[in-house]
Amino acid sequence: MKIKLLTSLAVLLVFSLGLIVFADDHGKSDEMNKLVFPKSYSAKAVSGGGKISGVVKFEGDLPEKKKLEINKDEAVCGAEDKYDESVVVGEGKELKNTIVYLMDISTGKDFDKKAKLEMDQKGCKFTPHVQIVPVGARLTMLNSDKVNHNVHIFSSINKEVNKPQPKVRKKMPLAAVKKAEGPVEVKCDIHGWMKAWIAYVPHPYFAVTNEKGEFTLEDVPAGTYKLGYWHEACGSNIKEPVTVTVAAGGEVKQDFTLKLKK
Amino acid sequence: MFRKVFVLWSILIGFTIFISIQSYTQDAPEVSAKGKEVYEHSCAHCHGIEGRGDGSAAENLLPKPRDFTRGLYKIRSTESGELPTDQDLFDIITDGMPGSSMPGWESQLKADERWEVVSYIKTFYDGFKERETPPREISLEGKIAYSAESAQIGKTLYTDLGCIECHGNVGRGDGTSAPTLTDAWNDRTWPANLAENWNFRGGTDTEDIFKRFIGGIAGSPMPAFEGDSFLHFGLSSEESKRLSEMENKDEMTPEEEEESGKLYEKMDEAVLVALDRAEGTELTPEAQKIYDDAMKVVAEKSWHLANYVKSLSPEKRPETAIGNNSLRSQYTVEELPIIEDEAWNTLEDSYYPLVGQVVIEPRQFNPTIDSVRVKSFYNDTEVAFLFTWHDRTHNIEVEENEDTGTSYEDGIAIQFPVKPPKGPTDEKPYFLWGGKKPVYVWQWKASEQDKITELTVKGVNNVTVQENQGDLNVKGEYKDGEYRLWVKRALTTDDKKDLQLEPGVFVPIAFSAWDGANGDKDIKRVMSSWYSFVLEPVPSSRRFIYPPIVALLSVGFLIGLRGFVQRRNSASDEAETEQ
Amino acid sequence: MKRISLFTICFVIFIACWVFLQFVIGGVISKPIPNSVIGMYMALVLVAILVHVSVEDSRFKEFLRPVYETLVDDRYRVRRLVLVIVIPLLLTGFSYTNLAQKTPPPGDPRDAHPTPPLELKYKDEVIETMQKAQNPYRHYEKDDPETFRSHVENGKKVYYDNCFYCHGDHLDGQGHFAHGLQPLPANFQDPGIIPNFQEAYFFWRISKGGPGLPASGTPWNTAMPVWEDHLTQEEIWDVILFLSDYTGYKYRTFGEGH
Repeated sequence: MKIKLLTSLAVLLVFSLGLIVFADDHGKSDEMNKLVFPKSYSAKAVSGGGKISGVVKFEGDLPEKKKLEINKDEAVCGAEDKYDESVVVGEGKELKNTIVYLMDISTGKDFDKKAKLEMDQKGCKFTPHVQIVPVGARLTMLNSDKVNHNVHIFSSINKEVNKPQPKVRKKMPLAAVKKAEGPVEVKCDIHGWMKAWIAYVPHPYFAVTNEKGEFTLEDVPAGTYKLGYWHEACGSNIKEPVTVTVAAGGEVKQDFTLKLKK
Repeated sequence: MFRKVFVLWSILIGFTIFISIQSYTQDAPEVSAKGKEVYEHSCAHCHGIEGRGDGSAAENLLPKPRDFTRGLYKIRSTESGELPTDQDLFDIITDGMPGSSMPGWESQLKADERWEVVSYIKTFYDGFKERETPPREISLEGKIAYSAESAQIGKTLYTDLGCIECHGNVGRGDGTSAPTLTDAWNDRTWPANLAENWNFRGGTDTEDIFKRFIGGIAGSPMPAFEGDSFLHFGLSSEESKRLSEMENKDEMTPEEEEESGKLYEKMDEAVLVALDRAEGTELTPEAQKIYDDAMKVVAEKSWHLANYVKSLSPEKRPETAIGNNSLRSQYTVEELPIIEDEAWNTLEDSYYPLVGQVVIEPRQFNPTIDSVRVKSFYNDTEVAFLFTWHDRTHNIEVEENEDTGTSYEDGIAIQFPVKPPKGPTDEKPYFLWGGKKPVYVWQWKASEQDKITELTVKGVNNVTVQENQGDLNVKGEYKDGEYRLWVKRALTTDDKKDLQLEPGVFVPIAFSAWDGANGDKDIKRVMSSWYSFVLEPVPSSRRFIYPPIVALLSVGFLIGLRGFVQRRNSASDEAETEQ
Repeated sequence: MKRISLFTICFVIFIACWVFLQFVIGGVISKPIPNSVIGMYMALVLVAILVHVSVEDSRFKEFLRPVYETLVDDRYRVRRLVLVIVIPLLLTGFSYTNLAQKTPPPGDPRDAHPTPPLELKYKDEVIETMQKAQNPYRHYEKDDPETFRSHVENGKKVYYDNCFYCHGDHLDGQGHFAHGLQPLPANFQDPGIIPNFQEAYFFWRISKGGPGLPASGTPWNTAMPVWEDHLTQEEIWDVILFLSDYTGYKYRTFGEGH
């Protein structure tokens, strides 16, 4: 009798849990082109952490280098030729502007509070093209041009931002966001060709590759992690992250080769 | 034993049901079956079953039907980044969005059905159920009533704030950024033509304009000018004016550097308060005062700006020039006015709405030209017309653009029958470029602005350029989002293929126009059906001759009648006395 | 109490008739009546009054008495003077406004519901005589409701992909292009439209559009496209099903009285 009772109990529990899981899962959209964040993250001092570094390279035929059509404010915006920045590579096809990050770290160092968080609008171009912004921190938009811009951030988890930044407003700090999200596109609607990306992140283990395609993640507590990347034109590896094991004080090399996403 | 088992089972089943109901309701709170039913019956063919704005009709619509899954709502009474209030959603469903394909549903759905739809569309975006506090609404306090002075202040702000970048110098949506604008879905979008308020999606009241300006239009390129987004946030109007003077100089003197530096510090302080508020931090009383003071200035300036925008449009869409409203060319004894002449201002515009050509492929489902307006003078030998229409872009050649598609040349065509119909039952040519019966067309292209080509057209594929050209005097110009086209012609010409004009005879007229930036080319165009106009005859001078004659005659008749009656009476009296 | 004169009674009746035609029938009850028609009715009224008063000699005299009196009797000098001034003034004003009037715009002689041809055609293919033609999917309404629903749903899709720009989201002829069209697009919510015509009539109007109208329908004005160039027969029949399904009106069928 007791066994019968227990079995029924188990069946019912499984059934109800199943319902909950089903209810939770249902309605989730495709997040393939986004970053993956840990459920929670707590910061503490890290000593004797390891280092992950590497180079990201582009593979395949490079898309045609597209010159941007400057159709207004030519004096300021058209002073030098501008090209589409969705794929920027070095001589050896080293890929710039790739985010490399740890997907599943739950404890580690705190953000560098002193680091300047700025994105400039200079010569009608956003610099940098990809900006990491910690959750809870204020990004300051600069306008180094003598023309009007507007900062349009197409967030969907956080609030959409669309603020004018006239030529006289050299610095415009933006309100901090509450939730990790991204990368989201940033546009200036006044100059339609101006595009950039912002990732709002919950922990500091994010790096953006430089001109040489290099990235470095420092002070990583010893352990095994999933290493992810994201690139505007090449997509991400959410489904097949690379697993790396970092020893205390050790250094792990991990290179990536990326192709244009289909 | 059995009883125990029963009780246990009951508890278990109850618990299970409770859990499952709980988890479902968490996922979709109060999904009303009624709302879903109404939505699927009335909304889904445009907005899609899942609210993604991808219903079957969406393909040919621009602006696209709203995608409800991103929580971006254009018409809100709430601050930037906030979701709309339920009332906002209800109002849009009730009133529709002029200038788009969204109609008002007041006549079709009962109020409670509209409310059900409101709660149903909210289920498409999680943000509605996740929001913990009610959305911050835009305060409409301190409204400044319309006055010419207020609009004048607004006009200055219009330039200083950068509105001209998209909306253009005088607000016709022809700013230099207009051709490249896209929205959050990467669909092409155009800045509002502030001179045609009947196409404003969210209403034409000063309050509506104020809310769009302060809160922005989510998902579109229109930014929000609230709080620290406002120019010189934290300064008083006077300080802001002074700072503008200094900022507009090429170089500041050291004294000015110092003075402006102080003002910048004051602004920075206010901006930080605004950021704290935006992030949800509770403000100290001092900070709150800084914020409130700054917002008072923002509100004041914004009302001026709203008054200016309000002043750019007529009160409502002009009446269409049909029936008694038809265009009547005004007779003058003088030489006909040229395009620059002030005399044109003495005439009222005749307004002809234009709509997309959807009869023959390729069709234009999303027209960008609202209407054409016409004025006309004539004298004993000639007639002159002034055609004006709004077009946000000046396209004089074919241009390829990867993002916005190929653009073509702008133009207009004015179409007449070759012969005016003899009466209302006399057959007219087919309204769209003629047919068996030919039409006589004046075709004007933006690249050759002082020339019109005369065409004889017998249908889309049967266009003949007339052999005899040069009957027309033409001047065209484009400025601030408006084309003006002046045409002068003799009332009668020697060419049999031309229309001959005669005062007092109503002549059919129809229009086609091309906005090259919107992909208009050849048969893809905006157009009108037949209207008619007349060279209004000089009021007959007989009106001063006949009425006095009528007066004299009628007085004479009455006196005569009296005499006659008197005589007859006396005669019959005599007869009576004789008897 | 002074007796009201016969002339006054006739005058009042005449004016009352005019008011009735102009404002009661031509305003409250239905659309304004053209002036020419009112003129005809008023002429009849006048003749009737004259016949009535001139039947008997004494009645005619009684009728004319106030006129005589006004003209000659010295008691009515003021009234006479007023009439001598007012009547010529009215006539003068009338002739002036008539002469100074703007050219009237041409009327619209359009026959809104022109007579269909004898045969129902799709492109050049004869389907059936107009009298006998039936919607081939109508019978599913009873036989197979599920199939019927799928036809209605397809009709809805066809409608919103093609028709609603002009005929409107609400099928009321108020689509977002309607304001620029003359004549206005048909309003299917009007109780005088769907119940008055067979489905075959709708098929004819949809498939042949404006250009297929007889001359009395002023085909040169209407922007209704020739839908047989864009839609299949089934799509047209489906959209016809949808129109009545959405509005709740039933098409006219023969046998229900003509």
